[in-house]
Amino acid sequence: MNWFISTLWSSIGKKLMMAITGLCFCLFLLGHLAGNLTVYGGKDLFNAYAENLHALGPLITLIEILLLFLAIVHVLTGCFLFYGNFRARPKRYIKKKSVGGRTIGSATMPYTGVFMLGFIILHLLNFTFIDKADQTSFQIISNTFSSPFYVMFYMIAMVVIGFHVSHGLWSAFQSIGANHPKYMPFIHIVSIVFSLLIGAGFGVLPVYITLIS
Amino acid sequence: MTQEKGEKSINLTVKVWRQEGPVVKGRLETYEARNISTNMSFLEMLDVINEELTLEGKEPIAFDHDCREGICGMCGAMVNGRAHGPEKGTTLCQLHMRHFSDRDTVVIEPWRSRAFKLVRDLVVDRSAFDKIIQAGGYISVNTGGSPDGNAILVPQEAAEKAMDAAACIGCGACVASCPNASAMLFVGAKVSQFALLPQGKPEAEKRALAMVREMDDLRFGNCTNERECEAACPKEISITNIARLNREFLKASFF
Amino acid sequence: MQLDSKQPGGPLADKWDNHIFDLKLVNPANKRKFEIIVVGTGLAGGSASASLAELGYTVKTFCIQDSPRRAHSIAAQGGINAAKNYPNDGDSVWRLFYDTIKGGDYRSREANVYRLAQISNQIIDQCVAQGVPFAREYGGLLANRSFGGAQVSRTFYARGQTGQQLLLGAYGALSRQIAAGKVTLFTRQDMLDLVVVNGQVRGIITRNLISGRIEAHAADAVVLATGGYSNVYYLSTNAMTSNISAACSAYRKGAVFANPCFTQIHPTCIPVHGTYQSKLTLMSESLRNDGRVWVPKTPGDKRQPRQIPESERDYYLENRYPSFGNLVPRDVASRNAKVQCDADKGVGETGLAVYLDFEDAIKRDGKDVIAKKYGNLFQMYEKITADNPYEAPMMIYPAVHYTMGGLWVDYNLMSSLPGLFVLGEANFSDHGANRLGASALMQGLADGYFIIPYTIGGYLSGASIEKVSTDHQAFRDSVQAVEARIQKFLSIKGRRTVDDFHRELGTIMWEYCGMSRNDENLLKAKERIGELKGEFWENVLVSGSAGQFNQNLEKAGRVADFIEFGELMVTDAMARKESCGSHFSEAFQTEENEAKRDDENFCHVSVYEHGGDNKDPVCHKEPLVFENVELTQRSYK
Ligand SMILES: Cc1cc2nc3c(=O)[nH]c(=O)nc-3n(C[C@H](O)[C@H](O)[C@H](O)COP(=O)(O)OP(=O)(O)OC[C@H]3O[C@@H](n4cnc5c(N)ncnc54)[C@H](O)[C@@H]3O)c2cc1C
Ligand code: FES
Repeated sequence: MNWFISTLWSSIGKKLMMAITGLCFCLFLLGHLAGNLTVYGGKDLFNAYAENLHALGPLITLIEILLLFLAIVHVLTGCFLFYGNFRARPKRYIKKKSVGGRTIGSATMPYTGVFMLGFIILHLLNFTFIDKADQTSFQIISNTFSSPFYVMFYMIAMVVIGFHVSHGLWSAFQSIGANHPKYMPFIHIVSIVFSLLIGAGFGVLPVYITLIS
Repeated sequence: MTQEKGEKSINLTVKVWRQEGPVVKGRLETYEARNISTNMSFLEMLDVINEELTLEGKEPIAFDHDCREGICGMCGAMVNGRAHGPEKGTTLCQLHMRHFSDRDTVVIEPWRSRAFKLVRDLVVDRSAFDKIIQAGGYISVNTGGSPDGNAILVPQEAAEKAMDAAACIGCGACVASCPNASAMLFVGAKVSQFALLPQGKPEAEKRALAMVREMDDLRFGNCTNERECEAACPKEISITNIARLNREFLKASFF
Repeated sequence: MQLDSKQPGGPLADKWDNHIFDLKLVNPANKRKFEIIVVGTGLAGGSASASLAELGYTVKTFCIQDSPRRAHSIAAQGGINAAKNYPNDGDSVWRLFYDTIKGGDYRSREANVYRLAQISNQIIDQCVAQGVPFAREYGGLLANRSFGGAQVSRTFYARGQTGQQLLLGAYGALSRQIAAGKVTLFTRQDMLDLVVVNGQVRGIITRNLISGRIEAHAADAVVLATGGYSNVYYLSTNAMTSNISAACSAYRKGAVFANPCFTQIHPTCIPVHGTYQSKLTLMSESLRNDGRVWVPKTPGDKRQPRQIPESERDYYLENRYPSFGNLVPRDVASRNAKVQCDADKGVGETGLAVYLDFEDAIKRDGKDVIAKKYGNLFQMYEKITADNPYEAPMMIYPAVHYTMGGLWVDYNLMSSLPGLFVLGEANFSDHGANRLGASALMQGLADGYFIIPYTIGGYLSGASIEKVSTDHQAFRDSVQAVEARIQKFLSIKGRRTVDDFHRELGTIMWEYCGMSRNDENLLKAKERIGELKGEFWENVLVSGSAGQFNQNLEKAGRVADFIEFGELMVTDAMARKESCGSHFSEAFQTEENEAKRDDENFCHVSVYEHGGDNKDPVCHKEPLVFENVELTQRSYK
């Protein structure tokens, strides 16, 4: 077991953990987005989707626990990486320019990460840990989105997620060692397309919902 | 000597990090570099400043250099926030002043990383790289008793890729330019060279584990795939070598 | 002084084997008890340190740079020779031996050179096993290319970075022994003196370049692998810290110096372009495989190269030397370039350059093939000159590159001081009056991997070596002398910088003791160096203090030694009244302006013994005996 801990605790091990948990979140986002897209089929379809989902019962709880676990790993490891990296250069440069490798996504990972953590907590408070006895899922979302501030906040959050994922996705492949000139350009494109899809897919929802409610 | 075609003379304001030793406080000092020929190399420009400083009875700027042709890896500093200056695939000694304009201000700082202690001015201690190599950056063969050179077949493509990785000059620009001061490109290049060659296979697992452990122990930062190292590397070594290191390390750990 | 070269008897091909058998061995358990100091981590020092440690000796290794991997060997580009005959073009140990002896213009020892050729093949095997990424054919076999002075393809290479890759191989082996605790590494250390106790070399004095501390290190034997002294000329292709100081300290302590005037001028370097210039850059000789050297036929022709039609170009090497063409040895190619420039056919702004043209090669093989072979060299050229060699021809001019002279050693690579061994470029042993391309790497590695491990054992087992520590009076005296010299540099507080003196010395040496020499100029050189030396010790300005990282102070010591050594070079050049290889004395040339040897009077190694401060050196001669090759006029026609 010792080797296992020391492997995960090494710099590459930490990256591996970030990569695998990150990839899981990408899958989750994809599923989540697919579900949410039912909104475009009208509120009944959306409510039906929500009910079916909740009907899965223990499976959903299991998935939720898993997601929580992944989140803890992703966030904690991220914190350790951030702290370690901060310590690795005690004296900063007076002048530092990017040579062209960094992107907005990559340069802001820790910050977009923290922002997303805040957003997710709020998101859960708003949509998940809420009394669902006397309102349908659609009512919950249309109520929440009736505040223009919230819509703004939500849309900004989706852009932030887009940036985070634009670096995170290809980076996960690099971290697990899957980088080859043959397919890396493709992974880069997929990362961009995926982050646009997530950003736009979720981001347009509140606008549509405000329109139809 | 006569003037070369296209040769110009420029004046620069140069701000250099001066620090007498590892524990004293340092500061940026400003010098005027006058009549700098655009055919000079960056280090020759520093030579000119140093001659003047010496004649004025001041201490010249300490900077590391040796081959002055981009191969020994001795030179290196941050020039206007970029490792080895603005030109791609170029060491500081090969950077020529024709890439600067009259009246430019040039800020020069040493490599900064916890693992590279400052020695003086622009000189840093990169022995951490040697320690990483000592941990396993070699093939364990004693002198004598090797089979005929042609007994080991190496596919041309593998030899070329290994050579791409082996071109590393150990200058430290990857660490210096990495936002996290990580040494992954350096380690990745060495691990890759041997992972690609049949001679390196027997020790591949041990090597990857030992070198990564040493790198971590020396407190280099963690790679977050920012690709700054690849862009700053004077030998343009690719981060596919880091991916290969990741692969080798994970393979060695889990399989 | 009796100079015994200790060449073994018997047939040439068996000498080395017989000698190995005759050498006494050190019991494996005793090896650990012997301490050996190795100064230098280039190909010679790096390979020696690793191999000696592998055998079990306790090794202390020193270098100037911050890492052993940065020794000047790293800069070698073109390749390394071996008599493998893989291309099936008629190569053999004998041919490599013969080419090297002939290339050196018959001024080297037969036995040494033959051994070098024999060992060459083992070196390739060793380096391949270490993971050196040599160039390969499609089928996975090792690839070869041609170098000057040979009609066979026997040069192994790793792109244009062969020295780097070989050195990293040796550095890896050294690192492994450091990790195993067998080698203690001392970086950023400058060797300033050699310590002799009871006639045996027992240690060195160094300056820690970071703290400025003077340190004494004792051992049972000392190996010097400190490289060459081309920097006497200020501008050379050598690294900035390449120096003569380590060898000079040995010379002052009684080690004799051989053939100091034999310096190689490499034909393909990027021409000088300004007074501020600090360094010359070599363009590997391998370029002459595909590049064609030419100048305009009409003197003073200032047209752009591409506007000069074929009929008005003089491909002078191809015309004069039809069988070797552009691949004549370096001394021949360099001298011919100078002849052309002296006749006002030189090109470029300064008129001190000739063209090296790839137009035909690119037409024949395509740009891709040429780029694959020389891409990094072309890139380097473009970085420095801002010209693109794919389009316009390169401009090249000879530059000082290598020193065949060095500390005198016998067949065991031991100097005239017992216990002091000298390897690599620092010794004089194998290249005679001119070194062929791709053979310095071969020699450095032969010395370090395959010769010293045997011969040092012979010495250690045979000599009676008392225990000596750094408390011994000889060490204390040495430390004191070194400190006094440093204080002297700092106390002069004159008005000229160290670099300024170095530049002037370089100009004197290049003008008067360079590619072509005559008595008048040599006398001038002697006089001017004498004056320069006088001024140096009164007017040099060294800033900072002794107890700090002080690059000015480092250089001051080196330049002081260069000046002193320059005098010795001039003395030797004057004494050698013949032309041979790199030493071209204008009074001695054939009707076709080729070097004309005088085998009757000068078939010897000139060996100098330090005569004491400000006294003339004493010259000794080691006669060269040729039993296996016939001395002929070198011809590359
Ligand atoms: C640009 C260039 C290209 C070349 N290309 C080729 C080629 O293609 N093929 C070929 O065969 N040869 C080539 N050569 C020649 C060859 O590289 C050298 O002759 C050879 O590498 C010398 O190796 P060395 O081990 O003797 O010394 P070096 O590699 O010079 O090493 C000297 C070592 O001694 C140390 N040292 C020196 N002085 C002191 C001191 N005072 N105190 C402590 N340490 C000291 C240095 O730190 C260094 O570690 C080339 C040379 C140059 C300049
Ligand atoms: S001085 Fe050698 S790489 Fe710059």
